Amino acid sequence: MVDIVQGIMVVNTETIPGKVITETYGVVSGSTVRAKNIGRDITQGLKNIMGGELHKYTELLQESRTEAMSRLVSDAMARGANAVVNLRFATSAVTPGAAELFAYGTAVKVE
Amino acid sequence: MVKITEYSRKSFFFLSILILISLINFSVAAQLSESEAESGGLGSLIFAICFLSPFVLLAVFGLLWGIMYPILVIWAFLFSSKKLDAMIMSTAEREAQTFAQLGKDPLSTLDGGYKKEVIAAGVVMAGAVYGPSHWHLLIGFINNLFGGSVDIFQKVISAGRAESMQRLREQAIKEGWDEVVNVRIDTAVMSPATAKKGIKAVEVFVYGTGIKY
Repeated sequence: MVDIVQGIMVVNTETIPGKVITETYGVVSGSTVRAKNIGRDITQGLKNIMGGELHKYTELLQESRTEAMSRLVSDAMARGANAVVNLRFATSAVTPGAAELFAYGTAVKVE
Repeated sequence: MVKITEYSRKSFFFLSILILISLINFSVAAQLSESEAESGGLGSLIFAICFLSPFVLLAVFGLLWGIMYPILVIWAFLFSSKKLDAMIMSTAEREAQTFAQLGKDPLSTLDGGYKKEVIAAGVVMAGAVYGPSHWHLLIGFINNLFGGSVDIFQKVISAGRAESMQRLREQAIKEGWDEVVNVRIDTAVMSPATAKKGIKAVEVFVYGTGIKY
């Protein structure tokens, strides 16, 4: 269970159940652009002809989302918050094989 | 419009530089190879390898692609529909298992209205990248000409969606959450739809807040 990441609680609901928001610190965000190496791109391209799931890309996106979230958390820590509420994710494909993952939310202090 | 002209001017500039560099390279190469040819031996061989190997590699890859691609498409024609059905079936089976284990669907899009006191909350996420096979792309293209619903793409995308939701359930159970509230389903294309090349796949990403009573 990862309810607390480096001392920051992250949820995507508007409030944290059982806690009261006392102060807000504005929007915090974290983003990353990642790509797999060309070998992976070639093998995944071949796999794409057959259809089905592309595990390596699933992995890539998962890794980059974790990275984006850790950046968001460190941003929130720098502002002196102890929780992030209303977390949202956005994705954009820059080029085939590279994707930008963007996470944003509101840094708050809860009690 | 401004962007397009800027882009074309830039690309023209870079192209001309590239041509210039390659011309200089080739003239140097020609002179060197002439001088080397007189002495003969290893130098010219290394030189030839350095300058020709990229082109040879490209040609080999091109040939391989030309031979392999039709075979792979035929393979896709024979097996991809079966594979897709098998994937849908396996997702449905695991879904049924989870439902039997918990007695209900742990996911909900609601926020609030908790029955009991919540002691912990945290974000849970899962995702899957699913792509139609090139045979399915061809069917979809033909379907597109006649209009109406393009069932094959719908099937692929909903398979990916069901799979990633099942993964979220499994993730939530693994991490010890009792329920996942405020679930959001996010869909993103891996390569732009207008792009001719690249991987044609859709990423379905599901996230929510896990709560523990």
